[in-house]
Amino acid sequence: MVQPHLIQTQLPEPPPRPFPIWPLCVFLGVIGIWSTAHHLSIDFQALLWGVGDMAEYIGRFGRPEIANFPRIAKLMAETLAMAVWGTAMALILALILAPLAARNLSPHPVLYRAARELLNGLRALPDLLFASIFVAALGLGPLPGVLAIGLHSAGFLGKVLAEILERVDSDTYDAVRATGASFPQLVMWAGWPSALQEAIGYTIFIIDRNVRVAAILGLVGAGGIGMELTVAFRLFQYDRAAGLILVVLIVIASIDYISDWARRRVR
Amino acid sequence: MTTWRWPTANGLPPPAVLSIGVSITAILALSAPFLDINSTTLIHAPEHLLAFLSHFMTRPDWDWLGILAIKLSETVEMALLGTLVAALISIPLGFLAARNSSPHPIISHFVRACLSFVRAFPEMMWALVFVAAVGLGVLPGVAAIALVTVGFLGKFLAESLEAVPDSALEGVIAHGARPMQVRAFALLPHAWPDFVSILFVVFEHNVRAATVLGLVGAGGIGYDMTMAMRLFQFDRLLLIILAIWVLVTVLDRLSDALRQRII
Repeated sequence: MVQPHLIQTQLPEPPPRPFPIWPLCVFLGVIGIWSTAHHLSIDFQALLWGVGDMAEYIGRFGRPEIANFPRIAKLMAETLAMAVWGTAMALILALILAPLAARNLSPHPVLYRAARELLNGLRALPDLLFASIFVAALGLGPLPGVLAIGLHSAGFLGKVLAEILERVDSDTYDAVRATGASFPQLVMWAGWPSALQEAIGYTIFIIDRNVRVAAILGLVGAGGIGMELTVAFRLFQYDRAAGLILVVLIVIASIDYISDWARRRVR
Repeated sequence: MTTWRWPTANGLPPPAVLSIGVSITAILALSAPFLDINSTTLIHAPEHLLAFLSHFMTRPDWDWLGILAIKLSETVEMALLGTLVAALISIPLGFLAARNSSPHPIISHFVRACLSFVRAFPEMMWALVFVAAVGLGVLPGVAAIALVTVGFLGKFLAESLEAVPDSALEGVIAHGARPMQVRAFALLPHAWPDFVSILFVVFEHNVRAATVLGLVGAGGIGYDMTMAMRLFQFDRLLLIILAIWVLVTVLDRLSDALRQRII
């Protein structure tokens, strides 16, 4: 009988010692923070000193006034309506532009470039910039807000829908193309049916986002609850502002919850 | 002319499509009264818009280009600083929030609640609070950006940590790793690439946010934009809008290229 300790075993080479890359990244991040803060001449001490002021300032919102609830509810409804109409406008624009901006569908390279650049341009300009331009041109009210939301999120939605269309299996397109389908027919019968599920999920996400945007567009006078909020801030009516903020917070949180649930249902 | 019919037996749209279409139309119709958009404003809208846009047919104020460049770089630096600070803060918070790496479920729930509270308000709202607290300038803008970004990145990191397969954890635990080592060598390496690639997206978003934060006095080019808008200096406004557009487009392309390189 061979003694167990006499058996020569050849252990495999141990794998190389893991070298984590993240400490290096963290170090670079700290360097980046330090140098940028230095360049902007920010001292974070001001933020520390400001903590007391901030606590005091936030404390002023302690007594939310919701006596004028019907008015707040009406404003919130206006905000939601702005988000819904803006999203509808974005969806219509995106449904037209996305097939042109999808590389494997677009009827002509020039058309593809043009649609892509248009979507990029819409996405590049912030919605508050759109809103302030439309307010200056059309006057105060929800209409500029709807237009701003619609144009800005059309850029987002269009790009994502185009990418979803590009990801569709090329066999699907070939099969429909083989029946002699024209470009609109190809989009209608091969593109959208394959992209539908993802597209709906993303549209829900965009609605969620647009409600948040609609709530602050009032800052530049583009309607919604933000307009009332800005007025309350300017007049230092903290109780009124707190009531508005409370309603916005509740609505945004519940929409967040609903959209999470809806997106899980779609998937 | 091809006739448009749905590829169903009777050539009519399926009930699901019909019901979605009808419900969307109904929601739009029901919400229309809240917007008080009437036909007269709509009819006159295009001509008002054209009249306003014709103001932009002017010679850009080229002399102002130097100040514009400084302001633009300030805007980008605000976004960069906010993103970096938020990334550093969100790493520990993400670990505390993820169910499989949190020391206690109560802590996980608490951190999650804090993160979603911070995310509930847009940057603009936080900027208002910070401007009131620390005064005008770049600092409140950076703080607002960082706060919202912490909310987003923390949640994102927690989700990608929770998506790490248990087998990876067991493999490292089987080697006798202590809990912190499990986090450093099993959880973090799995979540790291996603985290870095989302950083680029977040940075791009933050640049866009930083361009408008000046509206409430929180630094960046937004302040000059509002001033130019209020004073009808269309020669400057034109330059600012063009500059924002170019900046965001370039960053968009860059971050796309970088992300493709990393993934």
